[in-house]
Amino acid sequence: MRRKAWPYLLIGILLFLPLGIVQIRVDYERKVQDLESNLVLMPGQMAGSLVLGGFKGLAADLLWLNMEEYWHTGQHYKMLPLLETVSWLQPNYILVWSIGGWHMAYNIYAEVKDPNEKQFWYDQGIKFLKKGISYNPDKYDLYFELGWTYYNKGKDYPNAVAMLEKAIKFPHPEYVNDVLAHAYEKNGQIDKAIKEWEYIRDNFVTFVPVAERMLFNLKTKGTTIPKENKD
Amino acid sequence: MKKIWSIGLNTFKESFRKKMMYILLVFALIVIGASKFFGFLTAEEELKMIKDVSFSTIEFFGALMAIFGSLYAISTEIERKTIYTLLTKPISRSDFVLGKFFGMAMILLVNFILISLFFIGLLIFKHSPPDIDVLKTLVLIFVELIMISSITLSLGTFSSDAFNVICSFFLYIVGHLTSYGRELVERTENVILKGLGDMLYTILPNYENFNIRDKVVVGVSVNWAYVGNTVLYGVLYIAIALFIALYFFERREI
Repeated sequence: MRRKAWPYLLIGILLFLPLGIVQIRVDYERKVQDLESNLVLMPGQMAGSLVLGGFKGLAADLLWLNMEEYWHTGQHYKMLPLLETVSWLQPNYILVWSIGGWHMAYNIYAEVKDPNEKQFWYDQGIKFLKKGISYNPDKYDLYFELGWTYYNKGKDYPNAVAMLEKAIKFPHPEYVNDVLAHAYEKNGQIDKAIKEWEYIRDNFVTFVPVAERMLFNLKTKGTTIPKENKD
Repeated sequence: MKKIWSIGLNTFKESFRKKMMYILLVFALIVIGASKFFGFLTAEEELKMIKDVSFSTIEFFGALMAIFGSLYAISTEIERKTIYTLLTKPISRSDFVLGKFFGMAMILLVNFILISLFFIGLLIFKHSPPDIDVLKTLVLIFVELIMISSITLSLGTFSSDAFNVICSFFLYIVGHLTSYGRELVERTENVILKGLGDMLYTILPNYENFNIRDKVVVGVSVNWAYVGNTVLYGVLYIAIALFIALYFFERREI
């Protein structure tokens, strides 16, 4: 049984019209939901994105495994281009940014001897974490990592407070408030530190004994830091 | 509908005799299983890698199954001349093409379910049962595979096997790059080139629409509106491919 063929072709061609409309909707959704990789906007790296096509995640994993090897063999410098590439391939992969920042601000920092070089790697770590935040501004993780690096490594308490205050605006674990309370204290904002410890005491059951001890020390001695540990 | 179902069922049963499908299935399961050996990484890293490797494997081996399965669906019937027996019966050419398509869809569904269950089992074994976004990703991969199958089937109605396999793989690669190509075209000020780019963007299959796995593995959630629109895109493209297949198959001299 043979039928006329042209109606099939006509219907097929006509269906491209709704297809085009649906594609516009899909493109819109991809932009709204940040599903676009934006890789093509990075000069010099477009070829890579073209070659990788649909398997960016897999490529990132392979590079990550290489990076693990460099890490365990102490070849920190070799990790840097890989960190850049993995973060370029999957900018929403938080771990890359946090581990990258940590390697620069802590591990490489510890390896170099020259103070200027140390400062350089600390700054690089901060810069890397800030870049990570620009890709992931709606999650607490990198604000915390940056805040912690300012607090712990840089002793830069005003910036630490600023970042940790941003971190607690998003869903976060309890220890972020703990670090923020300490950062307030180190930054000389004792009133805010007391308020933060009170908030911790009232909201996080596991932190109650610690919070009560900190509040007692702050209210009676004006500090939670034992004398021998003071800078 | 009964005729389509009979042809589809026959195509499905026939696939059990093809060793290639088993080999692809076993390879896919081995690759997914191998991803379990990232135990030296932290739990978070390991889980991400298991998901990355599994999604990529399901898509890649699924695409191979879709292309090679659909490639021979029509051409084998013509080569073996079994199609003459079929078409002397009250079966129209459109019943035959649609039957072949539904048969291939059933084969892909069964293989897809087997691989996906293995992957989900692996996630449960790692104490991380799949969330809704993992399931959304799997749904989109499956629709993509059916789309690949329909395109290969459509090409098979008017071209040789060699041309079909090259063209299907070419479209598979190009289909993942169309959005990049469009961004390039958008930068040009040449109106003709822009128009041509837009036309190609609509005509060529955009497989990158179905790719949400890069985001899902790092914890980004994708809403149902996107999934719905993408499934609709897939259904429309499958319909187009089938209508084109019907057109060429009706015209073909057998």
